[in-house]
Amino acid sequence: MSTAPKTVQSKETSSLSEKGLKAGSVGLIGAVVIGVSCIAPAYTLTAALGPTVSEVGVQLPAIFLVGFIPMLLVALGYRELNNAMPDAGTSFTWATRAFGPWIGWMGGWGLIAATIIVLSNLAAVAVDFFYLMLGQIFSNPELADLSKILPLNIATTLVFIALACWISYRGMETTKGVQYVLVAFQLLVLGWFAVSAFIHVANGTAFDATTISPDWFNPFAVDSFSSFAAGVSLSIFIYWGWDVTLTMNEETKNPEKTPGRAATVTVLVIVIIYMTIALATLSFAGVGETGLGVGNPENQSSIFAVLAGPVMGPFAILMSLAILSSSAASLQSTFVSPARTMLAMGHYRALSPRFGKISPTYKSPSVATVAAAIAAAGFYVITRTVSENALWDTITALGMMICFYYGITALACVWFFRAEAFSNARSFFFKFLAPLLGGVILLVMFVKTAMDSMDPEYGSGSSVGGVGMVFVLGMGVILLGVAVMLVMYRLRPEFFKGKVL
Amino acid sequence: MRYVVGYTANARGHDAVHLAVALARNHDASLDLVLVIPEDSPFNAVYPPETGYNDILNEQAQRWLDEGLAQVPADVTARAHIRRGDSEAQTLIEVAVEMGAAALVIGATTGGLLKRFTIGSVASALLHSSPVPVALAPHGYQRTEPITRLSCGFGTRPGADELLDVAVESARDRGLPLRLVSLLALDGGNSPGLADAAWVHAADRLAADQLAAVGGSAAATPEPEIVVAQGRTIEEAVDRLDWEDGEILLIGSSRLAQHRVTFLGSTANRILRALPVPMIVVPRDYSRQSS
Repeated sequence: MSTAPKTVQSKETSSLSEKGLKAGSVGLIGAVVIGVSCIAPAYTLTAALGPTVSEVGVQLPAIFLVGFIPMLLVALGYRELNNAMPDAGTSFTWATRAFGPWIGWMGGWGLIAATIIVLSNLAAVAVDFFYLMLGQIFSNPELADLSKILPLNIATTLVFIALACWISYRGMETTKGVQYVLVAFQLLVLGWFAVSAFIHVANGTAFDATTISPDWFNPFAVDSFSSFAAGVSLSIFIYWGWDVTLTMNEETKNPEKTPGRAATVTVLVIVIIYMTIALATLSFAGVGETGLGVGNPENQSSIFAVLAGPVMGPFAILMSLAILSSSAASLQSTFVSPARTMLAMGHYRALSPRFGKISPTYKSPSVATVAAAIAAAGFYVITRTVSENALWDTITALGMMICFYYGITALACVWFFRAEAFSNARSFFFKFLAPLLGGVILLVMFVKTAMDSMDPEYGSGSSVGGVGMVFVLGMGVILLGVAVMLVMYRLRPEFFKGKVL
Repeated sequence: MRYVVGYTANARGHDAVHLAVALARNHDASLDLVLVIPEDSPFNAVYPPETGYNDILNEQAQRWLDEGLAQVPADVTARAHIRRGDSEAQTLIEVAVEMGAAALVIGATTGGLLKRFTIGSVASALLHSSPVPVALAPHGYQRTEPITRLSCGFGTRPGADELLDVAVESARDRGLPLRLVSLLALDGGNSPGLADAAWVHAADRLAADQLAAVGGSAAATPEPEIVVAQGRTIEEAVDRLDWEDGEILLIGSSRLAQHRVTFLGSTANRILRALPVPMIVVPRDYSRQSS
């Protein structure tokens, strides 16, 4: 049937950016709200504060500050790549263009793995606070303990993952209003927690009142390089999300100025929150390994689940609500990312083309979204059954995975732009120096953490066959990637022969 | 005259294209296939950020539209458009208004078990807010031959007369036989006497119309058939009527509708669920544009 003469594609009439977002719709405050919501500080703090203290003790504030530096350096490179090669595959596509298909494939795998791990962790944290909140609503601590029953916990987490997958598949989105409320509520509750903690310290009712000392801000006071590396890779995780503001463009009201200002304001807001909460927590509970002490392994997996009650009294339920709502919102939006990366990899024939399918009804990646949910569910079931402290270990493994794919991305930037690196001062700094430093720091952290984590006592102290759980998780995921990559090479060699990208 | 087709690359979209072709044939109408792709909210906070999905989606949308155009036979003119919008229904309405479309054609939905129509969320939103008539293709509608008969659901409620006028004019323009159907559910408290009242009302109105159009082409149109169908339920009444394959039912929007906006009343909704043929829901106080 000859149809060609009948086809007329109409021009887009509404003003849209190349990302498919409404152009000029985000102001400075909006951009900061988006940045803060991507970071989800209530969630990152409850997940990472304990594990970080167990590594660096009272130097928590120092590590939180230092951790921002590599994130900043890499994010600058990410922005350059994103402007030069906008692509749904991000790290996968860029690393393939810079270093060829093999490293590119592993970069993509690292990105997918990191987002899958964070999905399973988000769901787990949401479930913990869901039961905790039930316990608080009905003043019945037994309800909160339900999350400790393994089969029930796994079942509930799978339900949460399935729900978020369904919402993401249907293309439903968090709207502006909801996002403003979620972010404002999070900040309010975190502020409330900090103020209450300091009041307890002042009244002498704190668990282990500890005097703030300037030494807490000195990163060189951390006892070993191992602890330092572990602390930094954990604090990469707490800033993961911040760089979303840097990559904003036409969707902002003033693309020249808004993204830069928003990134600055966001990081100031986040650093203030992190410092305040870190100081409040340490002064209230100390780093002791008993009772409410932040060093107590029992408290590592979710610090606010333990401390919100003693600090905030009956208002602790607000903390549960804040973390539950923000992690649920993140769960839904985070699904988009691995799905789109897998879609891009399917599109470029680096995975089965089935992953490139788009739902005709909802116009979202169909197979890839479901695959992300299955992977996140599988990862959770495995870690939960194997590890005694799954949340703690997954967060540490996640830090490693972020260092891995971000390190590759940063070096891809350096290599991709090598010809223009020395053409002017701006190029030298943004396309060469910053990503080079950031990439090297992250890969060093990755290697150091990987080596240290072989010790069975590392992290939560769970181990498999005499090797630390974090190593098994992190390396297991990477080796699985290598295996899948080799299978893909056998099945569809055209991508690996450099014929696609 | 243009018809806007809300196209999706699935059975629902194919049903819509078939119906649109059937409506356009022998009627000098062209089709505009519109595929709506969602406009991401930046506030959804997708992380890590990426900018290329939109290109892949656009490419896919082009391929989908090519498939859609391939279903349109050569004797019907069709164009394809990609539009972005938060809400599919709202975007379709905007396009229809902008293009001055005579109707919006959509598929009801897929997978209605037993029932012929299950209203999808997009169709439902359109039926509650469209200022232009909405043509709904039943699930699995394959026919692309021209429409053979026009039926018009009528009653005695306000708005019925305007609908009747639209039906009479449409039938005249298309040279189609017109049938007026009144569907009565006896369990709804309707007495058999109401049927007679409806019949008389419709006959009067028709007579008035014929009188007004004296001297015009109206004289050539055959006398409309008037049928009253009864059943214990509306669904039963619909089933008792005979429907031609090429028939289409015109019904009016509910009294709750705002001026010139469709609103599917509960009766119309129930008719829809039992109906084996396509139907067009006409907004309240809608007056036809002359072609």
